[in-house]
Amino acid sequence: MSSTRPRALPARALLAASLALSASTAFAQSATETALAQRLDQLAAELAAVKAQLVQLQQAQAAAPAPAAPVAQAAPGSFGTTPPAPGSAPAYSASLLGPGTVLTSYGEINYNRPTRQTQNTQVDVRRFVLGYQHRFDEKTKVVTELEVEHAVSSAADPGEVEVEQAYIERQLTPVWSLRAGLFLMPVGLLNENHEPTAFYGVERNFVETAIIPSTWREGGAQLVGNFDNGLTVQGGITTGFDLNKWDATSTEGKESPLFSIHQELALAKGHDLAAFGAVNWRGIPGLLVGGSLFTGQATQAQAVDKARITLWDIHARWTPGKWDFSTVYTRGTISNTAALNAALVGNPTLIPKSFDGFYLQGAYKVWSFDDYALSPFARWEQFNTAKSYADLGMGLTPEAARAERVVTMGANLQVSQGVVLKADYQRFRENADLNRVNLGLGWSF
Amino acid sequence: MAGAALLAACGGGGSSAPDASQPAASALSAQAVLGEKIFFDASLSASGKQACASCHSPTNAHAPANDLSVQLGGSLLDQQGRRQAPSINYLSFDTAFFFAADGTPTGGFFWDGRAASLLEQAGEPFMNPFEMANAGVADVIAKLANASYAAEFKAVFGADIFTRPDDAMLRVKLALSQYQKEDTGFRAFSSKYDEFLRGKVQLADQEMRGLALFNNPTKGNCIGCHPSGKAADGSFPLFTDFTYDNLGVPRNPLIARNDDPAYNDLGLCERADLADRADLCGAFKVPSLRNVAQRHVFFHNGRFNTLKDAVTFYVQRDTNPEKWYPLNADGSVKKFDDLPPRYHANVNTVEVPYNRHPGDVPALSDAEVDDVIVFLKTLSDGYRP
Repeated sequence: MSSTRPRALPARALLAASLALSASTAFAQSATETALAQRLDQLAAELAAVKAQLVQLQQAQAAAPAPAAPVAQAAPGSFGTTPPAPGSAPAYSASLLGPGTVLTSYGEINYNRPTRQTQNTQVDVRRFVLGYQHRFDEKTKVVTELEVEHAVSSAADPGEVEVEQAYIERQLTPVWSLRAGLFLMPVGLLNENHEPTAFYGVERNFVETAIIPSTWREGGAQLVGNFDNGLTVQGGITTGFDLNKWDATSTEGKESPLFSIHQELALAKGHDLAAFGAVNWRGIPGLLVGGSLFTGQATQAQAVDKARITLWDIHARWTPGKWDFSTVYTRGTISNTAALNAALVGNPTLIPKSFDGFYLQGAYKVWSFDDYALSPFARWEQFNTAKSYADLGMGLTPEAARAERVVTMGANLQVSQGVVLKADYQRFRENADLNRVNLGLGWSF
Repeated sequence: MAGAALLAACGGGGSSAPDASQPAASALSAQAVLGEKIFFDASLSASGKQACASCHSPTNAHAPANDLSVQLGGSLLDQQGRRQAPSINYLSFDTAFFFAADGTPTGGFFWDGRAASLLEQAGEPFMNPFEMANAGVADVIAKLANASYAAEFKAVFGADIFTRPDDAMLRVKLALSQYQKEDTGFRAFSSKYDEFLRGKVQLADQEMRGLALFNNPTKGNCIGCHPSGKAADGSFPLFTDFTYDNLGVPRNPLIARNDDPAYNDLGLCERADLADRADLCGAFKVPSLRNVAQRHVFFHNGRFNTLKDAVTFYVQRDTNPEKWYPLNADGSVKKFDDLPPRYHANVNTVEVPYNRHPGDVPALSDAEVDDVIVFLKTLSDGYRP
């Protein structure tokens, strides 16, 4: 949900001042502050738009005798406004981009060194994202993100180019808004807030990548309700997964069952739509409690057997003073897997009946100076991508996987409001060959 | 897959049929109707006794109905062909030959993929001296002009078509390829396994065990070259990925040419365009396993006559080579005896089930081989519950 994240450039000063004043507030990504930043972004964008309109009006008055000159940027509020052509002006300032238009971006450059298999050490531009938000009027905006993973994308390179978000949001009432297009699913703590400055550790946690397939997005429509009591309610209809993509010969399904069959709105099969709902409550400063449910058929009328995929989670984040605690439990199920697996018997990766994950994380801001803030953290997580299989008969039913347990210890060093350096060590209980040291550089605005 | 030897092994390539679950059964086009008549017309051969259908019998999945290692042809029907006549079912899903991104040779028609299409393939047997043995295009067309359906041929392709033999020959090939593409008998998808995939029948316990062994990458690993699962678009498996592999199949003493020790059938690298690819010597195309239980001979040289021998060879080639190859004078095994020693390194010895050594336990036990065979029998078209 981009509205919860990329900081609009014109909002930076306001946001920095706000955070500086909030000396007692915990780390900058607390739920309350994120919501506050959200509002600030919105207000800043609206203020910029009003200023631009004012300038245009003043210019129009000054040139009153002359025929009306074409206005390069149509006034906000007019539908069908054409955004400035890329490259027509330096894209560093919202005012140059046009009233109501802001550039957003985030990126991660990571170094991973497995301690037992150092030959597998890698350095990677994990992702580089550019986006824009354009406000057509005070009630209507478009939010987009274009992402490049692994630096280079071509037939001979490992990278990918992805449209990660592309949706229109219309404010219907002061409480309710309608969102339509390609949007991030409101699941867990990370999926909608996945910028490197928004999570601890160089890599995203496993629970919210292996079980919740972050960055998980679907196409569809949803209603978003923001109530004054701190309650946010989301619900809608979207595209779903495609179980026909399950490749029993590869290990992708073992790494993340849902990631291996997500569609990302790339010629997505649309026969089977899914429904989702999410509730988050921020009624007490520093506390976020929430949960979500997603469910939908996933064989897209291309298999004899239907199968329903359901994923739910509960999560909480508490930021008392300099502390920052968070936890997520999530569980997924796939129905009718006995029938689906019948033709796949013997393959290394059958479709699991259930999978789940859980983590606990604590961080403490031990030092801060100007924009600098150092926050050591520790995270314990357990996840199982194949917790159970449906019975296929003796000798044919795969054994359930053993849950992997990972301890991550490290620190985030914020060097500016939107820049973070990270270092951590991860220890795997089941597959110790994966133990690794990670270093990361991230930014977001 | 790693190593140059495995460039000839499986992987990549299309392996499923886009319209598999519901083959269209519409009426044949005029070209295809002519193709059917040509397909069964023995008068187009030098012997006057050999048609396409002689070696590709529709009653036997368009494969030979006899158990000869290679079929007999020529003007007197006394010439052995070089390679086993394969089933030509499901070939409409094949492509022209190409190297996949990882270097795996893929596609093409005939055991060495030298023909780029069904149309191109259809022309060769007419001229092959070991098959229909015509002297040339004019010879074929002259016979065609006397066929009972010559008037239909002219009606479809022009009254003067027989005065232009090259043009007429092209249309003969077109008609044959259209027949193979349009007649659903070449792609019936009517096996018990297809019905199983459609959810209409269950496989019996032994068949399921066989399927599991077939798929299991640590047991049969047959799936490595013979995909058995539906594709992401729902299309049905063809049980071949149309790639090539070098299995080191034993020399077949029933082929007279093999009496000459200097003679070898080297497969892919015999092609002029691949003559400098010594790493491909000994590689042959992976056939579909659909209807394999109806086959009377197996492998490119027809070395084996039973499915039991063929499957057992896969799993015991390296654990018990003495069962499959002759012995040298000193008692050692003359392994891979159908390939010159300089090409032995091309043989696939890396993937399961070939990654074994003498004395090791075979990847499949005798009972498990039987399970796999029972499963393979579910791939025969024409299943009736």
